[in-house]
Amino acid sequence: MDAAAHRIFSAGRIAAITGNTFTALVRLKVFYFVLLFALLLIASSVVVGQLGIQEEFQILKDVSLGAMSVFTSLLAIVATAQLLPRDIEERTIYTILAKPVPRYEYLIGKLAGVLLLLALSLLAMSVCFFVLLFVREEILASDTARQMAGLPPAQIEEALRSLRASAFNSNLVPGIVLIFLKASLLASLTLFISTFATSNLFTIVVMVFIYFIGHLQATARAFWLQTHGGSWFARALLGLVALVFPDLQLFNLVDDIVAGTAIPLGLFTRTAVLGCVYTSVYLFFAWIAFHGKEL
Amino acid sequence: MTEPAVAVRSLTKVFPIPFRRTGLVAVRELDLEVAEGQVYGLLGPNGSGKSTTLKVILGLVAPTSGQTKIFGRDSREVRSREGVGFLPESPYFYRHLTGKETLHFYGKLSGLRGEGLNRQVENLLDLVGLQSARDRRLGGYSKGMLQRIGLAQALIREPKLVVLDEPTAGVDPEGSHEIRNLILDLKRRGITVLLSSHLLAQVQQICDRVGILARGVLVREGRVDDLLTIENQTELILENASPEIVAEISALLARSSTRLVEQRQPQNTLEGVFLEATRSQPRK
Repeated sequence: MDAAAHRIFSAGRIAAITGNTFTALVRLKVFYFVLLFALLLIASSVVVGQLGIQEEFQILKDVSLGAMSVFTSLLAIVATAQLLPRDIEERTIYTILAKPVPRYEYLIGKLAGVLLLLALSLLAMSVCFFVLLFVREEILASDTARQMAGLPPAQIEEALRSLRASAFNSNLVPGIVLIFLKASLLASLTLFISTFATSNLFTIVVMVFIYFIGHLQATARAFWLQTHGGSWFARALLGLVALVFPDLQLFNLVDDIVAGTAIPLGLFTRTAVLGCVYTSVYLFFAWIAFHGKEL
Repeated sequence: MTEPAVAVRSLTKVFPIPFRRTGLVAVRELDLEVAEGQVYGLLGPNGSGKSTTLKVILGLVAPTSGQTKIFGRDSREVRSREGVGFLPESPYFYRHLTGKETLHFYGKLSGLRGEGLNRQVENLLDLVGLQSARDRRLGGYSKGMLQRIGLAQALIREPKLVVLDEPTAGVDPEGSHEIRNLILDLKRRGITVLLSSHLLAQVQQICDRVGILARGVLVREGRVDDLLTIENQTELILENASPEIVAEISALLARSSTRLVEQRQPQNTLEGVFLEATRSQPRK
């Protein structure tokens, strides 16, 4: 028989679980929310059409990136929360783990399936977003050229250059990458919570709390340090909070992107590494909780 | 000396109960062995520890004390499950997958790839009689079909040991009969089968050896024939015996010290009558 000898780590087994998880989520029609995103974009483009060029593109980017961030985070939490409980409830987990599949491969495969879904969803939303930006840019460029007909070509050229600069800038791409990393971190944390949670609802509620704490903790930390001073105890406590609850605000660079400010490479790299480290650490915690779990 | 297919030594499993000092003892000091090629039945009422024992053997649950081994390898090692197929009680599987996709998925988990995997999937679909439903999603399968696809996934990598937890639970008599035939086919191929069941008549027909669990304790264990044989009784089944012959045997018995315990006409089983009546109908 064409069977490979057992290995303690098999990319093939992980790929099988990843593919199965992804197919299950796709067949649950979770992609429908991308349609919702497209509708939101169309609606916002109609509304901002009444504004000036600069404001229009700023609001479009603000709304789109904000919606991409919220939708992807929400999808990461909801899609991951039901993976383990469903497999346990329907006993499919027995048939998988009764094969020579180590539990860490099962967890990695499940998480990778969700990450694949998140990546493709974000890609679909980005395509919608870029297409809308391009269409609005072309419409406004032709309007501008028509309105400025008769003016010196250099002046028209300058106006068009300014318009194109406010529409698309390359900062959008690292911003979207960071949205993906934030969602990956949330998916990994959700997987960890679901290894000991008693129900999907519990996992989702806990994650919503973590989501808000993660976004508010930077402000709370600054306030605390301002009012209580920076004693070592306060710093240690805040460090512990930051370890348990990820600082999600770090991944939120939308304001810079919307303003057209370039994201420094150092900041992007640091944030990206932080996202990967958080994702890996939560996955490791998930394995610690799951490897001895009685099924 | 060859290693037994399954060896359970002094197995005790206690499930902790929150806020109580003592836990629930599911299995207590269990010792049993399943020899290679044997069909072994684990019997017992609900809550007697059958499923827990199977889960410990498969490494899904850790023993509180004692040890279980599969072909000499500790059950806690992932490699011990290399040659094992498992069908849990009332499995659902992934409802979004078709029968063929399901077998491909489990085949890949077992390390099969390419043409070998395709060939094995086709063979198993033929074996369990699901070729016509291969492209239907499992969400539309009947209970019996789910059980058959479950058996097929358990056999995907030609296992040396197949563990079946209540393989015929909730299946109609015809489906149950087919599963029984599949198990007998495994036996003919030299595959060891360890199963748990409530259906005593079926276990009696297919198992070489049985163990009876009650409240986590193994209360009886042995070869089926040995357990069922009543040493001091003999059964004669006569065909076309005239009343005179029967009278003569009775008279002979009366003259001796032998006591005639019962005299009756053998009956068919209800399952036999059901299968005979329904087999003439074409299958869906």
